[in-house]
Order: sequence, then C-alpha cells, then structure tokens
Amino acid sequence: MRDLLDDRPIKLRRERSATPATGRPFVVAIVLCLLAGLLFALDRQGLITPARQAAQQLLVPVAQRLTALRDGAAELATAPRSEDALRAQVVELQQANGELQAELLRREQAQVENVFLRQQLEIQRANPWTLLGAEVTVRSPDAGRRVLTIARGERDGVRPGMAVIGQTPGNPAALIGIVETVGPRAAEVLLITDIGSQVSGRVMHTGRAEVGLVQGQWQRGSRLRLEQISRATPIADGDPVVTAGLTAALNLPFDLAAIPADIPIGSVEQVSSAEQYQSAELRPFVDSDQVRYVWVILSQDG
Amino acid sequence: MLALVGLALVQVTLLTTPLGFAAPLMLVLVVSRTLLGVGAAFPDLGLTRALRWALYGGLALDLLAATPLGAHALALLLAAFAVAAATRRMRVERLLIPLAAIVVAAPIYEITLALLTQPGPVEWRSYAQVVILPATLAALVLMLPTFFVLRRVLRGQL
Repeated sequence: MRDLLDDRPIKLRRERSATPATGRPFVVAIVLCLLAGLLFALDRQGLITPARQAAQQLLVPVAQRLTALRDGAAELATAPRSEDALRAQVVELQQANGELQAELLRREQAQVENVFLRQQLEIQRANPWTLLGAEVTVRSPDAGRRVLTIARGERDGVRPGMAVIGQTPGNPAALIGIVETVGPRAAEVLLITDIGSQVSGRVMHTGRAEVGLVQGQWQRGSRLRLEQISRATPIADGDPVVTAGLTAALNLPFDLAAIPADIPIGSVEQVSSAEQYQSAELRPFVDSDQVRYVWVILSQDG
Repeated sequence: MLALVGLALVQVTLLTTPLGFAAPLMLVLVVSRTLLGVGAAFPDLGLTRALRWALYGGLALDLLAATPLGAHALALLLAAFAVAAATRRMRVERLLIPLAAIVVAAPIYEITLALLTQPGPVEWRSYAQVVILPATLAALVLMLPTFFVLRRVLRGQL
C-alpha cells in the first residue's frame, strides 16, 4: 500500500519533532474541499454524471464478484452447527452429490439461472408485467442511504423511474425500490425504505380500498409508513398494501416515478390516527437486505 | 489510488453489516492515516498525504455508491481536517487518541453526508439513533486494528 499510495516512506516521531508544523496542510485541505465541492456541484448539475457513470461501469464486474464472495461466506457462517442438523445436512448433501455427479458444471450454472427464470415466469403469469432479471452488485455503502446497484443498465432497456421488485421465500414478489439513475450496464435503485422514497399505495380492508402515500422511514428508525389515509376508512393490522399507480398523478417530488398499480408492498403493522387522517407502520413483504436477484418492471403490458 | 479503490470495493461489498450498511472502512483508514501524519517526523507531509487519501478514497466511494461525485470525498476531507486540527499537539502513540479521533470523525462524516445526500430536512434525533450511532460504533470496532496495521505498514524505517 505504501508503494502505491505514498511517494516516500514516512517516519513516526516518538518525541516532539524539531520540525515546526506550518499551515500548509490546512491550505491543502481547503483546496481539496473546494475541489470536492466543485465536483459535487458539477455532478448535481449533470455535467460530469456521464463520466462518473462510465467509471462506475468499470467497477461493476469486480463488485459483482466480491458480493458473490461475501454471500458465499455468509452462507457458510449461517450453516447449521448442531450434530443432528449437520447429520441431516450430510445426508442431503450425499443425495445431492449423487445427482450432481451426473451433471456437468455448466448445467449447474444453468440450473441456477433456471430458478430465477422460473420465478420470473411465475411472476409474469400472475401479473401483466414485462420483467428483466438483474443481479445485485452493491448494497447500501452508507448507513445514511438505502440504495442498491444492479447489473443491468440502459443497454438492457432500464430507465429511471422503473419499479424494481424482489421475492423472498414464502412471500409474494413485492416492490423493493425505484430505479434512480442508469448507466450503460448498471443502474442505481433507491429502496422504498429510504427517506427519499415516496410511492402512492392502496391499502385493502374487507373489500374496500383507500389510497395513501407510502413513505420510506429507515433513517427515522422504522421501515415504511402509510400516510394520508382518511379516518373514515377502517384499516387494521395485517391489511395488505399495494402500489396505487398514482405516483406520477400525485405530482410527488420524486418526479421520475411511474410505478404500475397493484405491486405488493407490505402489510399494515400498527395503525395510528391524527386529526382527520390515519397512518400506519408497514412491514415490507421483501427484506431488501436479503435479495440477491431482482427484477425491473420494463412495462405493464406483459 | 488503486489500493484505495480496492479498499472502497471491499467496503461496499464484503463489509456489509447485519444492520444493512457497510462498516466505514475508508473513514477509519483516513482517520488512521491522518493520525499517523500528525505523528510523523514531518507532519506537514504526513497530513498532506492523509488529505490525498481522503480525496481519492472519497471519490472511489462516490463511484461505487449512488452519490454525486465529491460527496464522500468532502465528508472524508472534513473528518480528516477536524481530526488533524484536534490532534495536532497530541502524541498519537496513546491508545485512546485513535478511539477519540474516530468518535469525533464519524459524526462529522455522517452529518456531512446527510446534508449533501438526504432530500429535504433531516430529522437529526432519529438520524443520530439510526445512522450516526451505529456507524460510529462500527467505526470504533474497526479503528484500533486498522490503526495499528496501517502504522506497521507505513512505518518502514521506525
């Protein structure tokens, strides 16, 4: 690292140095801060965004491999530890091994892809959506922002504002985020749990439906909140919430959103009332931290 | 710079915590480098190098995250600047100094990022509970091992 980053080796001093410190580093700090601020302003204006996205594309394949490595290690860490569980797993693995011996390595890869494609097919059968499968390459790098990077981009037909869904075992395919920015081969997805995400939602209770606003709450200590529901509408714990498809019509600040209706979002967990409105905490159907493969809804026509 | 890009990649891919965010390796590295710069025989040179790390590491994180170019760089630079200013007359050999430095630097880093990347007004109380405190704790855990490893890597002629 020293060879790559520093021109010359440094010496740590154990006693106070006779070399007087000057204000030069602080001048350098101010100059670098101004440079970073300038880059920030230029990127906000969109002037250097194409260059940033081009540089990002170079890093996507490496990030993809490292994420796969991390997921593999996580699986290893969560493997069963007790003797009984291990014995059961050994039996299962022996059976699986017998089957796998007859197959080639390429077929194994094809089976993995097949699982995702079958899942995609089932979702498409149940819904009028055209889907595009995408691997998750990078998850939220900071505590303060909920985003994903996926390995599909403009060349695959992905556009800003498209809905992104995921599925975990035992749950319906559900909305996890909205494509925020798109590069040629990768796209950034703002998760619905981020404070910056606002989606129109429809809560269903005993045959009645009421439209409200689903607001991300992660930075406020929870996940999702359904707001602006009239007090006249009865809602209760467990009521499902789906997208209303009205985000564009409501003219929300997230102006790129145009999300199809009836995408499952989550279920009502706790209802509270204030003035003429009700609001509710929501439990998302899909935990975005668990998904490794997602689908972008390219169109609603199927 | 390539090494910093590699470490940024490690942060966003391998160091994801169960809380859903990555352990702030780059912040810890920059703070460690700043402390080593302060304690170097030629502090001006050491600090300048630390600030370069902050810029390069921040830009690498910006490339990997969904943030405008310069946001992470500015946050890291301000954190490094604060640490340098606070520890200029201290002996960084003391064990508590790196821990105290990261406790100061992590909130500065997270607050700067929040101001630069969060849409609308930030609810600071909940943001502190959900973001700043967990991130600071994660940084604290990483700080001492990173500081001593980095000191060993960089000391060379000590």
